[in-house]
Amino acid sequence: MDPLLAVAVLAGLVVVATIIGLIARTREGRVHEVHRFRKVTPEELDLEQRFGSFATLVQFSSEFCAKCPATRDLLTSTASAHPGVAHVDVDITHRPDIANSFNIMQTPTTLVLDETGAIAARIGGAPRPDALTEALTIALRRDHDLYVI
Amino acid sequence: MTSTSSKSGTNPLAAKPGTTGIDPRGPRFGATITVILLAVDIVLGLLGVSVTSPTTLAQRVSDPAFILLAVIALIFAWGAFAGITRHPWGFIYKKLVRPALKAPTELEDPKPPTFAQLIGLIVTGVGIILALVGVPYGLVIAAAAAFIAAFLNSVFGYCLGCQIYVLLVRAGILGRATTA
Repeated sequence: MDPLLAVAVLAGLVVVATIIGLIARTREGRVHEVHRFRKVTPEELDLEQRFGSFATLVQFSSEFCAKCPATRDLLTSTASAHPGVAHVDVDITHRPDIANSFNIMQTPTTLVLDETGAIAARIGGAPRPDALTEALTIALRRDHDLYVI
Repeated sequence: MTSTSSKSGTNPLAAKPGTTGIDPRGPRFGATITVILLAVDIVLGLLGVSVTSPTTLAQRVSDPAFILLAVIALIFAWGAFAGITRHPWGFIYKKLVRPALKAPTELEDPKPPTFAQLIGLIVTGVGIILALVGVPYGLVIAAAAAFIAAFLNSVFGYCLGCQIYVLLVRAGILGRATTA
């Protein structure tokens, strides 16, 4: 092969890897409002803790997860700063059924539940600084008349 | 865990109790060396016998791209089995780079980067097997896959192995056999 072409292939790989990295960076930690009604119970997640009276931050973690400890710290401090907001951590390493049930594609993933335990918002990856405020706002202003329960 | 700011309070990326936290810049420095080696290997591979056929086994094994990929795979194996804290690039980082830098602002769990080494070993191992069997472009494609993963780690601090781990758990390949 022509050496110039070999170097061009390498340059192409650098471009592809950079695009993947930029897309991943843009998507990470953003809030996605969840409109579909899906209620979650602590029993379903194998938890003994109870959900918050206003909102709950459900974190999904795994064994090999670079950003889970930092996210855990952020969610714990957010929950303790807001009365009525609870933080729970679910390790999916040994629970593929839970990971499949909530379609967890990466860890950490955070679900923000409203006071009824219904999913209001979802954050994939380590949350951005303003993401939790945005997600909690969505959870707190949910209009339940929209749903036929 | 009652601190309201992750910056001023406890270290947010601290390793779990009983394990030693590592400087997160170490694995990223190592990934940069790996990126350079894989880039050289891809160019050597495209210029060598691994993209032509038919070739003899002796030709394929003596190909510089094959030898370099085998060395890279051995280094991945070292990192995966001895742990990221005993990685050869880690020694270079500790001796030459770290003294010139400020103390790390945070430490991280060594388990995710160690798992990433295992993923690197598997990908480069597949490349070596394909090269031994004589599949044209097999070596280059495996080296390119490892290159993208190492590049994402080095430049973006993105742990591709960690993402793959979740998908393997969901597929029931990992995590199910042991109990929490």
